[in-house]
Amino acid sequence: MAGLVPPGTTVKPDASTAKPKEEEKVDYMNLPCPIPYEEIHREALMSLKPELFEGLRFDFTKGLNQKFSLSHSVIMGPTEIPSQSTETIKIPTAHYEFGANYIDPKLMLIGRVLTDGRLNARVKCDLSDNLSLKANAQLTNEPHMSHGMINFDYKSAPGLTYPPPPPPPPKHKMQGKDYRTQFQFGNGALFGASYIQNVSPHLSLGGEVFWAGQHRKSGIGYAARYENDKMVATGQVASTGMVALSYVQKLSEKVSLATDLMYNYMSRDVTSSVGYDYILRQCRLRGKIDSNGCAAAYLEERLNMGLNFILSAEIDHRKKDYKFGFGLTVG
Amino acid sequence: MSSRITLKTKGKSVKGAKDSEKSRADCLKEWSTWAMKKAKVITHYGFIPLVIIIGMNSDPKPQLHQLLSPV
Repeated sequence: MAGLVPPGTTVKPDASTAKPKEEEKVDYMNLPCPIPYEEIHREALMSLKPELFEGLRFDFTKGLNQKFSLSHSVIMGPTEIPSQSTETIKIPTAHYEFGANYIDPKLMLIGRVLTDGRLNARVKCDLSDNLSLKANAQLTNEPHMSHGMINFDYKSAPGLTYPPPPPPPPKHKMQGKDYRTQFQFGNGALFGASYIQNVSPHLSLGGEVFWAGQHRKSGIGYAARYENDKMVATGQVASTGMVALSYVQKLSEKVSLATDLMYNYMSRDVTSSVGYDYILRQCRLRGKIDSNGCAAAYLEERLNMGLNFILSAEIDHRKKDYKFGFGLTVG
Repeated sequence: MSSRITLKTKGKSVKGAKDSEKSRADCLKEWSTWAMKKAKVITHYGFIPLVIIIGMNSDPKPQLHQLLSPV
């Protein structure tokens, strides 16, 4: 009878409390893939730099299919013209923008064309598990005003399974699954390369180099990102003189605070901003204030399924420039 | 006089070789510039139709009237 009772029942609770401690031990050979180098400031950018606009914005997205959709946008509002004087000159403009999107797990094509003939095209294609190609272009009818860029990204694939090693040879240390590299080619003889690696479950370090033939500039930069469940801190330095630091603290599921500092050591220019991001059930509210005397807020309210109401406000006290916008997004 | 003539022809032949080398690089540049210009025009006019064609041929196939009507 005693044999029917599994001998481990009394031992089990101890085993279950002991297990999580064992799992917390870091496996440095199996770190997750880091985020792409250009998205290193992603959380701070999402909180501090919403897409502020001025005037009316109406977006209608019609899905024909799971993967294919068309979008129609109407934008009416003043556009700023760069002027010599301190006053900002605004000219009222109105655009209609037609867009077509095809989104597939392996291929993504997004195209947007405006009434004045400008085309904004983005392509993302997964050539294999590790290698992906991204291209984007802004083409205009004016000569010499078009830009294009193509990137090749190599990342270590998440589904890689090592062959069961009798003794793992030291070579495996080089085949880390935890890095990404990217090569970029753009018009105007622009070449760039970047590399980012996860060195611990929370810390990733990366670097980039770029060479712009047309402007005769080249540069090198380094970046570091430390994140855990509650916060993300990033720092980036570049030889063009830019130092960018950011810190985002997640206070709860709904609230996060962010701050960032941009310092250019060549031109001794400093900008810092502090902002908040409330993600509630029916709305998302972001606000920020800047050291340039600029306060901004952006509200997206979900009125109904597929119907979003947007309000955007930006007050620049130094330039005495006030921008208010409202819009509706359908679909 | 004859020496002058030979000198002249020598100069011309050296120039000729340099010209053909220069023109090879120039040819390559010209062709690549021509190709980039054509690619830019093709992309400018053809990208959105390409996305629409790929989308209309994906599963489940949407109908043509769905493309044009706002419903």
